[in-house]
Amino acid sequence: MTLSVNLSDEQLVIEIRERDKELYGEIIRRYQTKLTHYLRKFIRNGDELEDVLQEVFIKAYRNLFDFNADKRFSPWIYRIAHNEALNHIKKYKRESFSLDDQEWEIMDESIDLKKDIDNNILKKRIEDGLASIKDKYREPLILFLLEQKSYEEISEILRLPRNTVGTLVMRGKKILREYLVKHSYGK
Amino acid sequence: MENKNKINIEDKVMSEIKSGRIKLRSKYIFLAEKLGLGSAFALSVLLGVLFFTLVLFYLRASDNLRYLSFGSRGLFAFLQSFPYALVLAFIVMIFVAGVIIKKSGAFYHKPFGRIAVGLIGLILIVGVALTFTNIAEHIERRAFDGSNPDGMLFRPLFGAGFSKHDGGLAGKIVDISGKYIEVQTPFEVVKVDLSKLEEIPKGEIKKGVFIVAIGERKDNIFEPVNIQVMEGDDMPMIQRGVDRRFGGSAQGIPQAGSVGFCLAHCAQTGGDKIFCEKTCINN
Repeated sequence: MTLSVNLSDEQLVIEIRERDKELYGEIIRRYQTKLTHYLRKFIRNGDELEDVLQEVFIKAYRNLFDFNADKRFSPWIYRIAHNEALNHIKKYKRESFSLDDQEWEIMDESIDLKKDIDNNILKKRIEDGLASIKDKYREPLILFLLEQKSYEEISEILRLPRNTVGTLVMRGKKILREYLVKHSYGK
Repeated sequence: MENKNKINIEDKVMSEIKSGRIKLRSKYIFLAEKLGLGSAFALSVLLGVLFFTLVLFYLRASDNLRYLSFGSRGLFAFLQSFPYALVLAFIVMIFVAGVIIKKSGAFYHKPFGRIAVGLIGLILIVGVALTFTNIAEHIERRAFDGSNPDGMLFRPLFGAGFSKHDGGLAGKIVDISGKYIEVQTPFEVVKVDLSKLEEIPKGEIKKGVFIVAIGERKDNIFEPVNIQVMEGDDMPMIQRGVDRRFGGSAQGIPQAGSVGFCLAHCAQTGGDKIFCEKTCINN
């Protein structure tokens, strides 16, 4: 067990595939918090989130041989989580969006709204704004701002060219800022 | 609470794995999937190239483009003889190749538009290059000669354009009598009434020459408004079609054993046209 902690994700996957399946527990421990955090952007309900997360780990395990160990493991498992979240939203036709306590502040700083609005209202506005913008802007924006992923990683997770990711993030920020400006006045 | 969930999920997943209810999918399954996808992609690109070559070949070797030399009046005949099925097959193959690229995500790091333009460019370049070989002619021969199963697959693709149509006619003159001429097309012998001609034909109307004409069909008689005399080489597909149908004959005289010879013999012995066509073509 101690040995597995020192291995990289990719080395760990090779070990699981070739020698010890039980080492998969280490993968779960490493990614459970990160993926819960990510999935919460799409799924509010705790039980549903847990089910989806469990499905992500099961799917990832089943398809471990599909992972190219020359590449990074993180974008690969994030892609599975991303697809599962989208499937879940499609299945239940429930598109919502929720931010953690500090996350809306990160968003606020990032889009540089500089407005004197009540924090609770702003948080709600940001959530609504994110829920209202198109998926193609929202997904890279979440990964970039809230999951702190690089353009390269987002490119691998969403299977988009790196330059396209940059463009989508920039446009996403602009659209969100416009939404917030529009909806913060007169309401 | 979160910590409890953490342990909970890890326990659940690991117990499923340990019990063997969840298993790793074999690496050979992924290998087979990749090979299958790669093969499907390669096949769709190859077929795309082939269909494009066949479209170019058809335009060059059939009567289709010749109708445009009559100006706007030839447009109807051009549209009737256009190889829609081949063009559609070509487009479908490009679409399939595009879908495979998109689904597999193999080239995701490059913009899809650029990949699509590159792919179409490659197909067009290789397709044009293949027109300098005799592969298209070979496919045409296999499609129309006898019962080659592979050739039969291509016959319907040629069929949409390479078939009887009302607005135009292409074939070889085999008889001239008064205001009528008889023309062998790849499908039948057509009686042509020259009395409705609006322009003097370009070239000499005589036995053995190939013509293209625009006009209309009325009760098994074609009434052209304009005719152009061609060389057989100008429409090799029509020439081969006529030779296949009626047998090779330099001066328009059907050779013994050919369908043309049979038709002529049948007519001489008093058989009506429908009976003769049925008997000679089916045998």
